Amino acid sequence: MTGARASDRRAAPRRAPRLWLFCQLAVRNVRRNARRSALTASAMVLGLAGLMWTRAISDGAHESWVTGAVRLGTGHVAVEAPGFAKSGSLADRLSPAQLADAEAALRAPGVAPLVRASAPQLSLSGLASSATAAVPVRIAGVDPAAEAAFSALAGRPVSGTFLAPDNPLGAYVGIGLAHRLGLGVGARFVVTAQAAGGDITGQLVRVAGTFRSGVPDVDDGLVFIQIATARTWLGTPGAATTLAVLLRSSRATGRVVEALRADLPAGVAVLPWQEAAPGLASAVRIDDWSGYAFLVILLAIVALAILNAVLMSVLNRSREFGVLQALGLTRRETGLVVFTEGLLLTTASGLVGIVIGWGATWLFWRHGLDLSALMGSDITFSGALVSPVIVPEFRAVQVLLCLAATLTIGIAASIYPARQAARIDVAEAMKFDR
Amino acid sequence: MSDDLAVRTHDLWKTYPQEPEPVQAVRGVTLDVRRGEFVAMAGPSGSGKTTLLNLLGGLTRATRGRVEVAGRDLTTLGDRDLAALRLTSIGFVFQAYNLLPVLSALENAEFTLLLRGVPAAERRRRVVALFAEMGLAGLESRLPGKLSGGQQQRVAVARAVVGEPALVLADEPTANLDSAASAALLDVMERLNRERGTTFVFATHDPRVMERAHRLIRLVDGTIESDVRPAAPGVAAHASP
Repeated sequence: MTGARASDRRAAPRRAPRLWLFCQLAVRNVRRNARRSALTASAMVLGLAGLMWTRAISDGAHESWVTGAVRLGTGHVAVEAPGFAKSGSLADRLSPAQLADAEAALRAPGVAPLVRASAPQLSLSGLASSATAAVPVRIAGVDPAAEAAFSALAGRPVSGTFLAPDNPLGAYVGIGLAHRLGLGVGARFVVTAQAAGGDITGQLVRVAGTFRSGVPDVDDGLVFIQIATARTWLGTPGAATTLAVLLRSSRATGRVVEALRADLPAGVAVLPWQEAAPGLASAVRIDDWSGYAFLVILLAIVALAILNAVLMSVLNRSREFGVLQALGLTRRETGLVVFTEGLLLTTASGLVGIVIGWGATWLFWRHGLDLSALMGSDITFSGALVSPVIVPEFRAVQVLLCLAATLTIGIAASIYPARQAARIDVAEAMKFDR
Repeated sequence: MSDDLAVRTHDLWKTYPQEPEPVQAVRGVTLDVRRGEFVAMAGPSGSGKTTLLNLLGGLTRATRGRVEVAGRDLTTLGDRDLAALRLTSIGFVFQAYNLLPVLSALENAEFTLLLRGVPAAERRRRVVALFAEMGLAGLESRLPGKLSGGQQQRVAVARAVVGEPALVLADEPTANLDSAASAALLDVMERLNRERGTTFVFATHDPRVMERAHRLIRLVDGTIESDVRPAAPGVAAHASP
C-alpha cells in the first residue's frame, strides 16, 4: 500500500464540497443541542424583532411629528421668494407668474403623485385690534378650499367654522388670541399691516370661527383670512408669499425639492421642511440617533450573549475540533466550521426575529399604537401638533438595517469562538482522553 | 527515505516548557517502521508513547530531529501541508473513539474521503464494503450514540483505514473496550494489516495488543528501551536503526 489512492489525491484540492460539509456540520450541530440553540436564538429573535418594531414605531412617530408640524406651517416643501424666510416681509413675495410656474411644476408627472395638497399663502406680521386690546399677530391669507386640504387647523374649530368662500371678511382666529381680544364668533376686529406700497393699512374682519392647536404661539398669535381679501387689502393682486406643499410622505421631500429646484427659475426659493423648521429637524435627528444608540447597546448585549454561548460550545467541544484537525482539516477550516455554525444560528434566528418584528409592526399598523391614555388626546412637540396614535411605518431600509444587524451580530459573535477553535492544540485537546 | 518505509524518525526530541524544569517527553528517538508492520509501543505512563504517536502523526511539532511519513519530512511542513498529509497519508484511532456525534456511522467513516473530494457513490461503495468486512453492515445510518463502544471503535478504525493511508496511528484503541470487543477489534485490525497491508502503530498498555503485535517497542522516559519482534520466531530481537 502506498498511501492514499491516486484518484483521492487528485480530488483533494476541491474546496466546494468542504464548504458544503461545514454547512451540514453547522446545521446538525445547531440541532444537536436544541435547547441551548433555542435559548441562544431567542436572544437574537427578541433583539431583531425589537429592532424591527421600534424602528417602525420610531419612523411612524417621526412622520407624525413632521406631518403635524408642516400642517401648522409651510408644508413639507415651501416655495417662496428668496429672502422671505429671513425677512418675513411682503416685499419678498412670489409674483403671480412665479406662483403659476410653481403650481405648474407641482403638476409635473414626477412630482404630482407625491403631492397630497398645496396651498398658496400670503403671510405677514401685523397687529390685531379689538375694542378691548391690540395684539401682534401673524396674518395668513389663505385659499379656504386649498387650506382646508392642507392645514391641520381647518378641521379643528372650537367655535364657528373655518373660512368659507362666500364670507370674504371672515377670520379664523386662535383661541388664545380670541380670548385676549375679547372676541367671539361674529365679532369684528381690525388687522393692520404694512401694505406692498409701504403704507400701514387696516382691514376690518369678522370672526368666523376659533381654533385650538395646542401650540401656544399659534393659538395666541395666528389669524387666517381669505387670500383674495388679503391681496386686495395689501395691494398684491395674484401674489403669495409662500406656496405650501404637503406631501404624501415626508420621505419624498428631498425628491420633490430637487425636482422643483430643477424646474423653477433662479428667482424662486424651494425650501424643505428641515430648513423651515430646523428645531423639529434637530429633534427628529436627535431622537433618531438616541434610538440607534439604544439599539446598538441592545444588540451588543445580544451579540455578547450569543458569543458567550458559542464560545462555551467551542470550549466544551475542543476534542471534536482536535479530531477534525487530526482528520485533515487545517486550523483555518476548523475555525470556519465554528464560524459557519455561529453565523447560521444568528442568521436563522435573526430572520425569524425580523419576521416576528414585521408581524408585530403589521398588527400595530392596522390600528396604531394609542398613547392617549398616557399622554392625553393631543400632544405638542417642538412646535408641532402630534397625534397620540402612532402608526408604524414600513420601510425597506428597516429590513436592510435588520439584515445588516443580523449579519454584523453573526460575524461579531462568531469570529472570536472561531479563532479559539482554530488555535486549539490538537495534542492538548486529545489529552482529555486520559 | 526508502519506499519500503511508512515512517522514519531521526534523533527525535520533544521538550515541553514547564516550571520548574522543562519536561523532555521524547528524547532522541530514532525509529523506522516498514510498510505493513503491526507495531505496538508500550511503556509506563509518562514514558512518551502518546507524545511519540502525536509526533508521528504531525499533531505536535518536534523540538528537534526529523519525522518522515510517506517520504515527507513533517518538521518542514506548514500547517496547510501538514493537514493535507494527515488527510492523505495518516489515519488516527483514538482511545475515546472520537467519532463526530452529529454524523452517522457511514458519514463518519467516509469523512476523510469527502474531504479529499471523492465522489459520493465511490465513497459509499468503499465504506459499505469496509463495513461488511468489519462486521458493521447494517449500522451505516446509526449515530455514534446508538452504537456500542466496540462498534464505535470499529467505525473509527474504518474511518482511519478507508482512505488507505500509509500509516494508521492508534492511541490506546482498546482501553475503553471489554475483552470481547477488544479481541474483535484486534481481529479486524490484524486482518486489515494482513489483507490490505495497512501499517499500524499502537500506543498501548494493553497486554492483549502487545501479544498480537508483530513488533513491540518499549519506551522508558522518552527513549526506546527495547525493540523486538515477538511474532517472528527465529528473528533475533534487534534495536531500531
